[in-house]
Amino acid sequence: MMPPYQRTERRKSMAERRPSVSYTPPVIPHLAGLEKPQELSLKLEECDVLIMGTGLVESILAASLSWQGVQVLHIDNKNYYGDSSSTLTIEQLKKWCMEVNQGRMQHFQDAQIYVPGGKTTNKFKSKDYGIDLTPKIMFCKSDLLSLLIKSRVYKYLEFQSLSNFHVFENDDFSQKITTQTSKEDIFTDKSLSLITKRNLMKFLKFILTDNKEPQKKKVLQESSKSRISDFLVSQFSLEKPQINELVYSIGLCINEDTKTPEALAKIKRFLSSFDVYGNFPVMVSKYGGPGEISQGFCRSAAVAGTVYKLNTALVDYDPKSKIAKFNDGSHVKINEKIVVSPSQIPKFLQSSYNEITAPLKQYSITRLITVVRRDCKEWMSEQESSAIVVFPPHSLPTNNDQSVQVIIQNGGTGVCPEGQSIWFSHTSEQDLNRAKQDLESAYGKMETSLLRESTSDLDEAFDDHDFVLSAQGTPVFINSFKLGESLSNFVPKEKLEIVCKLGYVQKTYVNPDLSNIFHAKPENNVVLKNLEDAKNDIIFSNMPSAELSYDGIIGEAKLIYQKITGTDEDFFDVDFEDEDEEDNEYNEAHKVASTTTMKSVGSSGGIVGGGPNSNTNLHALSSDNENVIEDDSDDDHNPFGADEMEL
Amino acid sequence: MSAPTSNQNPQSSQSTNRFAQFKLVLLGESAVGKSSIVHRFVKNTFDDMRESTIGAAFLTQTITLPESKTTIKFEIWDTAGQERYKSLAPMYYRNANAALCVYDITSRSSFSKAQDWIKELKKQAPEGIVIALVGNKSDLADSREVEESEVEEYIQQASEDGSSIITSECSAKSGDGVLEIFTSIAKSLPVEEAVGAGTNRNRAGAGNRRAGGVDLGRARRPEQASSGCC
Repeated sequence: MMPPYQRTERRKSMAERRPSVSYTPPVIPHLAGLEKPQELSLKLEECDVLIMGTGLVESILAASLSWQGVQVLHIDNKNYYGDSSSTLTIEQLKKWCMEVNQGRMQHFQDAQIYVPGGKTTNKFKSKDYGIDLTPKIMFCKSDLLSLLIKSRVYKYLEFQSLSNFHVFENDDFSQKITTQTSKEDIFTDKSLSLITKRNLMKFLKFILTDNKEPQKKKVLQESSKSRISDFLVSQFSLEKPQINELVYSIGLCINEDTKTPEALAKIKRFLSSFDVYGNFPVMVSKYGGPGEISQGFCRSAAVAGTVYKLNTALVDYDPKSKIAKFNDGSHVKINEKIVVSPSQIPKFLQSSYNEITAPLKQYSITRLITVVRRDCKEWMSEQESSAIVVFPPHSLPTNNDQSVQVIIQNGGTGVCPEGQSIWFSHTSEQDLNRAKQDLESAYGKMETSLLRESTSDLDEAFDDHDFVLSAQGTPVFINSFKLGESLSNFVPKEKLEIVCKLGYVQKTYVNPDLSNIFHAKPENNVVLKNLEDAKNDIIFSNMPSAELSYDGIIGEAKLIYQKITGTDEDFFDVDFEDEDEEDNEYNEAHKVASTTTMKSVGSSGGIVGGGPNSNTNLHALSSDNENVIEDDSDDDHNPFGADEMEL
Repeated sequence: MSAPTSNQNPQSSQSTNRFAQFKLVLLGESAVGKSSIVHRFVKNTFDDMRESTIGAAFLTQTITLPESKTTIKFEIWDTAGQERYKSLAPMYYRNANAALCVYDITSRSSFSKAQDWIKELKKQAPEGIVIALVGNKSDLADSREVEESEVEEYIQQASEDGSSIITSECSAKSGDGVLEIFTSIAKSLPVEEAVGAGTNRNRAGAGNRRAGGVDLGRARRPEQASSGCC
């Protein structure tokens, strides 16, 4: 799964070289309680690894290293956690934008922030907002989720389900995926013909079949180079609306050139995430995404002994003496490696960095983030506070080549006050002018549909077709909202009230399809480049990718971990001795509370029809074929390309 | 860990005894004995703290208030050393219901640091947080540098904005006064509110839980959730 690390003889890992049995983390708060604080013991003189930047990858790395007994010093030149994927308040963002435009935020450019009105017309408390610079969603079956559980970092966090994915097509929004989605109901559009339905079923059956099944294997091999839409048309006679749905909403692919193996892996990522925790494929972390999760891993690292110093920058490093000097005048001996986030590159390393990244292909991610005074409940399931909106290629008046993906989160997720929501949109369009136009256009469509929805009379907005009969014969509301439907005829009488609008461009060397993370080589990934003049002591990490999910994060953390320790076998190989005690104690104390919580998650919604058994169907289908998911990773010649997604 | 009997039977705890959970954070200069106080409270021992801090996301301990028949569970967050270079994350303060600001009665500077932490709390922590200013090492009264009258004086000033601060001294070494601190914190907490919202409570966040929350420790298909990468 990870690219092999070229080494003739496997070097012993840090954990092996250090007797971890007798190891006690030096930074656990002093327990003596008797002696005066020992100034000397508080002073850090050396460490094994210095990590610069508290972004998500670096934070996971810090935790993984320190849990193996490696002494880590983790610094950030900002006064907040999260680095380029931080969660910031509006005041922090204003300052951030200024610094971007002064060229002081490496790899960011063209930042604009717009806060309309004065202090009386646009009242808000900056502190009430947690705005992610790189917002992300987490699939319920994903490597990050597994790691959150294994490392127990999830205990510091809160997660909420997300089940609404909307696709914009033909100047109209349609909600296809909802809480009660099942195998049959992935497409709630009841206007589908029987033939289309049958074709869809055929495709779903195909995707969940064992990849080693001879007929499937043959089909996959033949299609490894073809575009996913061609494949879906030729093999399954699917039509554009269903293709858009499968490829851009379920699969979250970003353009028409997406090849069949990658797209199928992404569609499967969605399906296999379904019903792991309930009838939803995705979760979001409360109070912020990567910025929040990185704080969790930093805390975990701190518990294991990592020393944290915000507001600290490296000013010099001498590879001979291995002494690192910092801007507060302190200096520390670095025994092993220095990991440098691309947003924290000190002056003396800038030219080396430019040199080694020169042959790499750079990608732009353009983002538009808008805080609006609406809770946008129209787009969400009952009990939920977030939704996804996707604008597939060529769905916008700008004739966008790349899809525009939007995460919507309202006050229920803790990122803004009640009654408001944040629209996080981004595109991988490389022409920056076009990218901005695409994002503005998508914003306009969402604004119009929201205003139309909230101003129109309910009787006008819905007709009989929006209801279906449930198994019990009672009408069930099928479109929890009806965005658009002839958006073009609607002239809004009012404007959407905006608290804050923010746009910027971020650069990264990570391919939007993550291929140079999952198939990293020295030629395509900066992590694997060697800096000869610093005696290979310095490793650069990557800027965040354009990927909407957390895919690729663990891959990169492992890549760096392996470069430091020589292996990734012991990556988060930790056992918590107090596990049983903790859990039993927890179980006892929480029996009442937690069972009710799980129940309420499972039975939430009830918006869309599908019958009482609908939620078990996909479960049955996918768990029958569970080995498919495991098998994928074992098969070297697997045309499915599942290892790209680490399913 | 010895938990009150009411915990072992949630059914009865619902009817005859109420249950509420709160997040408590520790603050104070390094080496004033923050962890020792908690360890005394949680394990009722003084030393050998390490293994329990490692791995545990946070420590928990319950106490029962007999007069209101309420079991209070404290979810106690240690600074894990992140306070040393002023690098505590916003996550640390989030949804904290109580804060224990610890100083060492034999160290004047630790007392002024504790005051700084109270200032910081008023900026960062949620409104209505219960603050306890605790002088540790009361067993070392001979080398006392912080007089109780000074503390009183400070509290009068600090309470001018309407906030109330519990003050107390204790000795983590002997155990004197430790339980009393947590009991008086428990009595100051908004128990009624928390009990009312109890059905929605989930794992990490004491109180403030909402519908739509997912407990990652409880997958429908655990074999799926844990069969990822690692």
